[in-house]
Amino acid sequence: MKHFAQDTILETRSLGRNFTRGGGLFQQRTVVRAVDGVDLTVRRGETLAIVGESGCGKSTLARTLVRLLEPTSGQVLYEGSDIAHLAARSMRKLRKDLQFVFQDPFSSLNPRMTVGAIVEEPLTIHTRDGKPARQQKVAGLLQRVGLRPSMADRYPHEFSGGQRQRIGIARALASEPKVIVADEPVSALDVSVQAQVINLLEDLKTEFSLTLVLIAHDLAVIRHMSDRVAVMYLGEIVEIGDTETVYGAPRHPYTQALMRAIPVPAPGLRSMQADLPGDIPSPLNPPSGCRFHTRCRHADANCGTKRPALEPTEGLREVACHHWQKIAASLSPQKQEPPRSAAAAKRFSLYREWSRKNKSKGPSSAPGVTTTQRKDNNA
Amino acid sequence: MSEGTDSRSGGSKNPSLLTVDNLAIRFGNAPANTVDGISFAVDRGETLCIVGESGCGKSISALALMGLLPMPPAKIAGGRVSFDQRDLLTLPAKARADLRGDRMAMIFQEPMTSLNPAFRIGDQIAEGVLRHRAISQADARRRALQMLDRVKIPAAAERLDDYPHQLSGGMRQRVMIAMALANDPDLLIADEPTTALDVTIQAQILELMKTLQEETGTALIMITHDLGVVAEIADQVAVMYAGRIVEQGPVEAIFDDPQHPYTIGLMSSLPSLGERQSRLTTISGMVPTIETMPSGCRFAPRCPFVRETCITRAPELTSMSPGHLAACHFAPLETHMVEAV
Ligand SMILES: Nc1ncnc2c1ncn2[C@@H]1O[C@H](COP(=O)(O)OP(=O)(O)OP(=O)(O)O)[C@@H](O)[C@H]1O
Ligand SMILES: Nc1ncnc2c1ncn2[C@@H]1O[C@H](COP(=O)(O)OP(=O)(O)O)[C@@H](O)[C@H]1O
Ligand code: SF4
Ligand code: SF4
Ligand SMILES: [Mg+2]
Ligand SMILES: [Mg+2]
Repeated sequence: MKHFAQDTILETRSLGRNFTRGGGLFQQRTVVRAVDGVDLTVRRGETLAIVGESGCGKSTLARTLVRLLEPTSGQVLYEGSDIAHLAARSMRKLRKDLQFVFQDPFSSLNPRMTVGAIVEEPLTIHTRDGKPARQQKVAGLLQRVGLRPSMADRYPHEFSGGQRQRIGIARALASEPKVIVADEPVSALDVSVQAQVINLLEDLKTEFSLTLVLIAHDLAVIRHMSDRVAVMYLGEIVEIGDTETVYGAPRHPYTQALMRAIPVPAPGLRSMQADLPGDIPSPLNPPSGCRFHTRCRHADANCGTKRPALEPTEGLREVACHHWQKIAASLSPQKQEPPRSAAAAKRFSLYREWSRKNKSKGPSSAPGVTTTQRKDNNA
Repeated sequence: MSEGTDSRSGGSKNPSLLTVDNLAIRFGNAPANTVDGISFAVDRGETLCIVGESGCGKSISALALMGLLPMPPAKIAGGRVSFDQRDLLTLPAKARADLRGDRMAMIFQEPMTSLNPAFRIGDQIAEGVLRHRAISQADARRRALQMLDRVKIPAAAERLDDYPHQLSGGMRQRVMIAMALANDPDLLIADEPTTALDVTIQAQILELMKTLQEETGTALIMITHDLGVVAEIADQVAVMYAGRIVEQGPVEAIFDDPQHPYTIGLMSSLPSLGERQSRLTTISGMVPTIETMPSGCRFAPRCPFVRETCITRAPELTSMSPGHLAACHFAPLETHMVEAV
C-alpha cells in the first residue's frame, strides 16, 4: 500500500510550541521549546507514526495539530488553510474533521457522563440529527467498537481500560472525521487487549477511509501499524521516512540507538545494547548545535555548534545529521525474531484457527463484550 | 505437609535459596484466592522472571515473599516459603524485618515509593546499611558512595547530597538498586523496575542489573509484563494468569516451545519487529475478576480450545520436557487438537 499518489491533508511549517515555567517572585522564568521548528506533511489515507522518548514533544505536537494547543510560531495547515485563522464556520468543520484519541483511558472520559452521552455529544454538536437518530447512531458506534449497545447507560468507571479506549474511539468516530490523531492509544493496555484495540483501529481506518496520526513509543506497534514514521528527539524531528526503510536501515544515530535498545522476545538474540550513554538532557536547557551530540558516539566538534537540518537522503527519507553518510556504513543489521520450531509453529497456527472458528460461532466470544464490573446475566 | 513431596522444590540435592510451595493469598471475604497455589524455586546467581498481565498477582506475590503484604485485608491462605532453609511465613515479625533490606531486598516500579523525598540520597543509602551493620557513620557514608559508583551514577560524590527530586527517573532507579544491593543481599526482587522508563534508559538499567548480578551472585526475581525483557534477562520463567502459574521452565523452552494456550496467545498478540503481519491474533475477552473467577481452568472463558473438562476440573502443572511444566488438560496441543473446520 506504499507509494501510491497521495496528496497532503495536514501540514506543519516551522511549527513551534513553547511553554514558560516559573517567573514568580523567586523563580527564574524558563522557556521549554517542546516543539521546535517542525516541518511535517501528513498524506491523505496514510498512517503516520511519531515516535520518541518521554518528554520529546510528541503529545505537544499532536495537540497542536488539532488545535487543542495554539502554536507559538509557524503554522498548521489543514486542507491548505492555516487553522489558526479559520472563520467560525470553518472552525466547526475542523473540529468535526480532526478528532483526538487520548492516551489515558482512565482520565480522558468525563466520569459523570454515561457512555451513551459521551459518544452522543459530538453528534449533538456536529449533526442536525434528532434524539432518536442520535441514539441509533450511538448504538451502532458502540457495536462497531465491540461494546454492547445496552452498555450506553453505564458510567466509565464500570469499564476496563481496553473498553474505555474503545469508548474514546467510538466518540472520536461519531463526527465522521477525516483524520484521527491518537496519542498513545494502546500504551496503557495489556498486550492481549492492546492487540484487540490495534486490530480495531486498523479495521476502522479502512472502513471509514481515515488518515491516522499515531503517537507511540513502542517500536513494534509502530512497525505493525504505520506507513511512515517520524522520530523525534528534544522537540525536533531527526528522521522521517517509510516505515520499511527506516526500520530496515535507520540512518540517524538516535534512531539506530533506539532500535538497538528494544528487547526482542527471543532469548537466542540477547542483543539489547545500552550503547546510548547518559540521560535525555533537560528540554529546559537543550544542548547547542545538534541536540543529540551529548549522547552521540559519532559526534565531532562541528556537531556541538552547528544545528543539522533535515535533508533528503535515499528514497523519500529525510535525516538531520551532519554525518549520516559516513555513519550508514557502520550499521548493524535489523533485529528480528527467529522462526519458530515446527511443533511451536503448529501450535500457533492451531491457536489462530481455533480462535477464528470460535469467533464465527457467536457474539458471546467477541472481544470486550463481557463486563467485569457487574454481573450481567439478563441484560 | 511432608517434606519432599514436591519434586520441583528439590529437597533432595542442593536446596534452593528460595522455595515457594503452593502459596495462596486471599483478600477479605473474596470468593476465591487471588494468588492460588503458586510454586517455584530460585537458586543463587539465577534469574527467575515472573511474567503476566496486570492484576494477575505478580506484585502481591512479591510483597508476600518480602513480608510486606498488608494483612488485613490480605491473608496467606496456604502454602510455605522457605528462604535459606528458614520457614519464612512462620518467622516472627522482628526476624523478618531483620532479613528485609539485608538478606533479601526489593525494588519497586515507582522509585518514589521507597525513596523519602525529604532526605538526601546518600543518607538514605547509609541508613539502610547502619540498620543492619555495626559500622560507623563515616563507613556507612563511604559505602553509600561506593554503591552510587557501582550503579554508575556520574559524579557520585557530588550526587550523595542530592534529594530524590533532583534526579531523573533512570537515576532514581539506579539509586534504588544501590540501596537494595548495599548489604549484598542473597535475593533481590525487582517489581517492574524498568516499566516506567524509556527504552534507552531501560536498556542501561537491565544491563546494569545483569552486570551486578554476575559480580555478586545475587539471586534475582524479576517481575515484568514485557516478554522482551524476559527474553533478555531470564534463566527461568514463570507465566502467571489470574493468580496461577500456567507455564514454567527454562527461558529457551518458554519461547521456543510454548505449550500453554495463554502463553501462545500472549506471544501471538505481540506485533513483530520483522515482517508486517496483516492482522494480530488476539486473546478474546478479558481477565476474570475475583467475583467471576472460574472454578476449573481459570483461562477457560478466553481459551479457544476450551472443552467440558476444562470447566469442571482445574489442570495441574505437568511436565512437558525436563524442567518445563504447563497446566493445560490438552498440552501438547498438536496431539490433542485437530485442525479447526
Ligand atoms: N502544559 C505544559 N506546561 C509546561 N511544560 C509542558 C507542558 N506540556 C508539556 N510540557 C513540556 O514540554 C515537553 C514535551 O512534552 P510532551 O508532553 O509533548 O512530551 P511527550 O513526547 O508526549 O512525552 P511522553 O512520552 O512522556 O508522553 C516536556 O519537557 C514537557 O515537560
Ligand atoms: N488491598 C487490596 N484489596 C483487594 N484486592 C487487591 C488489593 N491489592 C491488590 N488486589 C488485587 O489483587 C490482584 C493482583 O494484584 P497485583 O499483585 O498488584 O497484580 P500485578 O500482577 O499487576 O502486580 C488484582 O486483582 C488486585 O486488584
Ligand atoms: S549531527 Fe553529529 S551529534 Fe548529531 S547525530 Fe549526527 S553525528 Fe551525532
Ligand atoms: S485446560 Fe482447557 S481451557 Fe485451560 S488452557 Fe487448556 S484447553 Fe484451555
Ligand atoms: Mg505524551
Ligand atoms: Mg504489579
